[in-house]
Amino acid sequence: MEVLEEKEEEEQTGEELKALEISDNLQDVEMKVSMEQVCVPSDVPDFDWSSIDTSQLPSSYKINSPKEKKLLHIADHFLQQYTHLCPDRKPLFLHPVNECGVEKFVSTTIRPTLLPYTELYHWDGCASFVSDYLTMEPLKSPITPPSSLYSPTTILKYQKGNCFDFSVLLCSMLIGAGYDAYCVHGYATHEICSLDETLKLCPLLRKPQEVPKEGMKKKSNKYRVKPPPDLQSKFELQQEAKKAAETEAAQKNKEREEEKVTEVEKPKRDPLYGLRVHAWVLVLSGKREVPETFFINPFTGNSHSTRDEHFLGIESVWNHRNYWVNMQDCWNGCKDLVFDLSDAIRWEIMLSRIKKPLQLLSDAEEEKELSDRDTDDMQEKGEEDMSFDMPPSWVAPIQISPREFETRCSQGRKVILYKKAKLEKWAPYLNGNGLVKRLTVYADLDCTEVVEVREWFRNREDMLDMREVNKQTQLTTEYFSPGHLLGLKAHTYMSLEPETEHTMEFYNEARVDGLQKRVENDNKMTEYFVGRDDFLHVRHMEFGKRGKKIHLASTRTDINSRPIVQIKECFHRNLEKPADEDVAERIFLITEETIHLTYHLKDKYITASKKDFFKAADGDRKGNEIVMTPEMCITYQAGSSEKDKKLLHLYKALQQLTEEEKQLKQQVRQSEAEVLNILKIRENEETAVKLTVSIYNTERNKKRRQQYEAMKNTMEDELLGQEEQDLDYLAPFLIQIGHRKKMTKGQALRVRDDCLTDLKHRLIDKANIIQARFEKAVEELQKKNQWFQENHNQLSAEEEDDFLTCCSEIAFRIHILALRLNREKQTAPQKYLALEEKLRKDPRLAEYLGHA
Amino acid sequence: MSQLYNSIEPNIIDDEMVQKAIEEQCPEDIGKLAKREGINLKDVTELQLGFRNILQIDNLWQFENLTKLQLDNNIIEKIEALESLVHLVWLDLSFNNIEVIEGLDTLVKLQDLSLYNNRISKIEHMDTLQELQIFSIGKNNLTTLEDVIYLRRFKNLRTLNLTGNPLCHDEQYTLFVVAHLPDLVYLDFKLVSDTTREVAVLKYQDLTEPLEHEEAQALAQLEENQAKQKELEYHKTAFVEYLNGSFLFDSMFAEDTEAAKLAYLPGVGNLLQAYRTEFVSVCENLFNYGLKEYEKREAEVSDFYEGLHEALTANQQEGRKIILDFENRNKRRLDEIHSASSYDIAESKRAEYKEDILQLSEALMTLEMLIADQLEELIKDFKGNIAVIASTFIENVKGMMTQCRDLENRYHEKLLEISITTLEKSVKNQLDEDLPADVRMLLVDKNTIVNAINASHGIRLLKIAKRESDILSNTYRWQASVTEKAFQNEIDRNRDRVREIVQYIDNLQEELDNIEILGPTE
Repeated sequence: MEVLEEKEEEEQTGEELKALEISDNLQDVEMKVSMEQVCVPSDVPDFDWSSIDTSQLPSSYKINSPKEKKLLHIADHFLQQYTHLCPDRKPLFLHPVNECGVEKFVSTTIRPTLLPYTELYHWDGCASFVSDYLTMEPLKSPITPPSSLYSPTTILKYQKGNCFDFSVLLCSMLIGAGYDAYCVHGYATHEICSLDETLKLCPLLRKPQEVPKEGMKKKSNKYRVKPPPDLQSKFELQQEAKKAAETEAAQKNKEREEEKVTEVEKPKRDPLYGLRVHAWVLVLSGKREVPETFFINPFTGNSHSTRDEHFLGIESVWNHRNYWVNMQDCWNGCKDLVFDLSDAIRWEIMLSRIKKPLQLLSDAEEEKELSDRDTDDMQEKGEEDMSFDMPPSWVAPIQISPREFETRCSQGRKVILYKKAKLEKWAPYLNGNGLVKRLTVYADLDCTEVVEVREWFRNREDMLDMREVNKQTQLTTEYFSPGHLLGLKAHTYMSLEPETEHTMEFYNEARVDGLQKRVENDNKMTEYFVGRDDFLHVRHMEFGKRGKKIHLASTRTDINSRPIVQIKECFHRNLEKPADEDVAERIFLITEETIHLTYHLKDKYITASKKDFFKAADGDRKGNEIVMTPEMCITYQAGSSEKDKKLLHLYKALQQLTEEEKQLKQQVRQSEAEVLNILKIRENEETAVKLTVSIYNTERNKKRRQQYEAMKNTMEDELLGQEEQDLDYLAPFLIQIGHRKKMTKGQALRVRDDCLTDLKHRLIDKANIIQARFEKAVEELQKKNQWFQENHNQLSAEEEDDFLTCCSEIAFRIHILALRLNREKQTAPQKYLALEEKLRKDPRLAEYLGHA
Repeated sequence: MSQLYNSIEPNIIDDEMVQKAIEEQCPEDIGKLAKREGINLKDVTELQLGFRNILQIDNLWQFENLTKLQLDNNIIEKIEALESLVHLVWLDLSFNNIEVIEGLDTLVKLQDLSLYNNRISKIEHMDTLQELQIFSIGKNNLTTLEDVIYLRRFKNLRTLNLTGNPLCHDEQYTLFVVAHLPDLVYLDFKLVSDTTREVAVLKYQDLTEPLEHEEAQALAQLEENQAKQKELEYHKTAFVEYLNGSFLFDSMFAEDTEAAKLAYLPGVGNLLQAYRTEFVSVCENLFNYGLKEYEKREAEVSDFYEGLHEALTANQQEGRKIILDFENRNKRRLDEIHSASSYDIAESKRAEYKEDILQLSEALMTLEMLIADQLEELIKDFKGNIAVIASTFIENVKGMMTQCRDLENRYHEKLLEISITTLEKSVKNQLDEDLPADVRMLLVDKNTIVNAINASHGIRLLKIAKRESDILSNTYRWQASVTEKAFQNEIDRNRDRVREIVQYIDNLQEELDNIEILGPTE
């Protein structure tokens, strides 16, 4: 802190106004720069926060509750003491006004909320969401905290805010997710404050650090052969070394010069270094298995170590419970700060607690409170522990709809500039081809010469995950997620034309043949296999020129295919066979009709056994009788001089090989066909990109929704139909007759009459019931009246009231009953007639009744 | 039947029959080749000798690699002469006149055995056939259901055929078999259904459970024994077997009758107890030291072989590289020579190639010389180290054995002292205790007792000395054998390699020479 203070003092000596002016200018410049960098496309450059509509906001936004007022009072008191004790330090950021112009204490602006998205259960998900969702606005003055702090809900609504807004929103989400998170008001470098990442390497381009592999080979064995005597001239070696050193030195000089050039690229020193106000989030270790305390820069969503040199100092930190002022010296940035908030010497607490510091608060209580928070009546329980409890947040619950959550950035697009790279992000489904991310890598700092473009896709039906286009070599590499139709994993090509250079990688686990990779160019094809039962790992094929040698190759398959010149297969060692019976490599020279077999090396041998078969060219001369002659096979058997292996075996082997050769040829043709097929499929997929939609995503999955709705409709229809069927008014009478199909006229008439009399009875019964009730009610009333007459004088006022209400109630009932009775009497004949009519028209009875 | 049997001349397997059988089972084209070349009986893996009226199995010992043998539909009466066919997987002896299962002990790989339609009345003599999967013994004279229990020992048995035996008439036959062979999948050509199995298991629970228990116990016992054996084996390789405990001490006193008598003397019991604990603790030390030294020795040897292996692999790779280089360079050489346009060119090329072959030979030999020298040095180092290890071990063992001897001497002196005082007391008739009669016999005069004590002392010393010399001679033997093995291995390797190189070069030369004949003719 001292350094900062000193600087401040220097500037304070009469030059305050000037400094402010400078900062204003600077800020303007920054504004422009940042606008360019952030690429807010054709947006209103200056969003007018004063014009926002506050009329819809709840009342807690507009007035302070008594408790809040008391809190503000305490805060003022605290501030007074603080300024008295530390007159040199800047005023604290305690209670800025909110969007309704009401002063609110910063802690109450934090509204801990757990949002219902799995991504947001972890800090990195929250941080990247906040950094994506909100658009960054610079502070009005880069060296003072803002005068206002709006609610997270408002910030979410307008999707923009300054670093304080970012931090408050992120902090709310992190605390909601159970992290021990705090907003930090402090100082940071220009790059951090203005979201300038053009000097940073893009995180996607960072190479994973190679772990040095050592320790395994280090065990020195005392049994080590002595190297053979060195017969080289020492002098010559010396001379050579000298020369090498010279050239190296020259190289180094050159490099140094180059380095100088690159150093020029570095930015000049920031005049406001150490004064730029920034707000970020501090996550303390302990909760949610966070092993180490760290910072999150809300602009980028990246985590930083607390020793990061970009963070230059901390004024104060706060969460939804309390407010701490840093009393430690920040001369060395944040490197030496101790984040033990219960340490009263290092951290001045605002609402001091009597019993326990926050960090010792039991988890159970914490969780209880977490769940309480949503229902606004929080923190009643922990109150005994504290002298004064922080009032509940005045902010309405934070809500993010699934659509907003998915769309992320405003208009679903975001651009970030890194050093020699540009990163663009889109919301899923925004682009028709499923593009969600694109990274363009440039050769120079001005981003003019494109080196490489990487595109990431999501929800594609062809499982395309990423495409890498190297602009310099024109090579395109596509990476697929598991699940592509043909098990494709990666595909590198210049063009989709067949018989050009292609490298296809496959998910070998998903393929029956264990193919892992296939490299093809115009006259060669090499296939690599993994985990095959026959130990094959490489198959290499060479093709001849098309058309010229057709007479040699098999013409009957198809004339268009290229003649196969050579097939070479390599096998791994099969430990079940002896080494000199286990083929390591076999070459079929198809045009020369020879087969070369090379076997695996026997233990400690340096020469491999070999067999060369020359297929009998004169076999056909003697009809179809093939005779094996010793000349047809040349054998070299390593380590054994006896050569007289029986011709029988050789003959069998040759026969088998011939058979296999035939199969292999077919195999090769199949491979060729598969390549063509893949290329065709890829082309089709690329021309008509289809996106998949999860069946749970009802909003997007129209088909699914239609299906669902159709299903629902049919279900409803069925239900209705059932109901109609259930109410067959004739059923009971038809059952009485027994057989329904045939009915005599008499029976039909009887059914009709039965039905009608039944209805009549019903109607009369109904009327009778109503009549009975009516009479009963009248009687009751009479009784009451009588009782009242008798006891008229002894009754209290209360009882009299009771009686009156009772009477009026009974009277009302009598009235209703009278009405119903009346109506019943009127409608009964109509109902009777209606049924009669209906019966006449009923298809089951019509033919009999029609004549009647 | 008997008439038929009588009318046919019984046969014996002879070369002719075998030859014919082999020829029959070959396809035509191969058969011709085979006929011309003759057949090596070792190469035959399958043989069909069915329907040949064979009475006696014989002359099959040459078919070492036979895996499938069919001897069905003969009149064989005894299983014999199959001992050498150890690779046999499938043996068919159905439709014969066999009465006893025997002579199958060496066929440990047998998986499928058919004895269908014979006259067998008892399942026996098959304990070694642990791989058995399919067993057919239908149409025999098996009468007792309990015979099936014998089959429990075949853990891989899945298919069993018992139809046509008298025991099948038993109502409980199926359930009994299924209950006792729970892993069976097919019985008498039918799939065993789960319901049958459940019923069977329920029904015969009382019978099978004790069996299972017994088997489990036997297995546990076996494992325990094996573990013990292994432990002992380990101790033996460390040369300190039976030293962890009082075994040596006990053996020292085991045959010594005098010592047993002397133990009755007053005060000797305590003395013996103290001696015993001390001695055992020394033994224990020796034992632990021995194990430690053993680990050390093993580590040394494995270090050496690791180093050796490393060197050899490097050498092998280098040699391989030279050869591959050569082969790549000369891939088309022979063709070129073969199709050279003129004799001169062919000749010059041939000479060139010859030169190249020579150079290759030279290079390979040099490499071999180099590695031989290097390895010689390596082995010398190894020998030295082994000698050092062995001598330190011997020295320490000797030291500990001296401790044992000292203990023995001390005990001896004390015993002497006690016995003399006892003798004196006895002479003076001051003995408080009653001693057994034979002990009293010793206490007649000084000479007798001293002699007795000396004799038993001598025996004990001898035992200690023997144990010591055992360890020492074992150690010497180990040292010699390890060193010898290293040297011998190296010599063999060197010879093999040289032979390989020579042969390879010869082969190349020959190829070239063969070409030479053709060269000028074109």
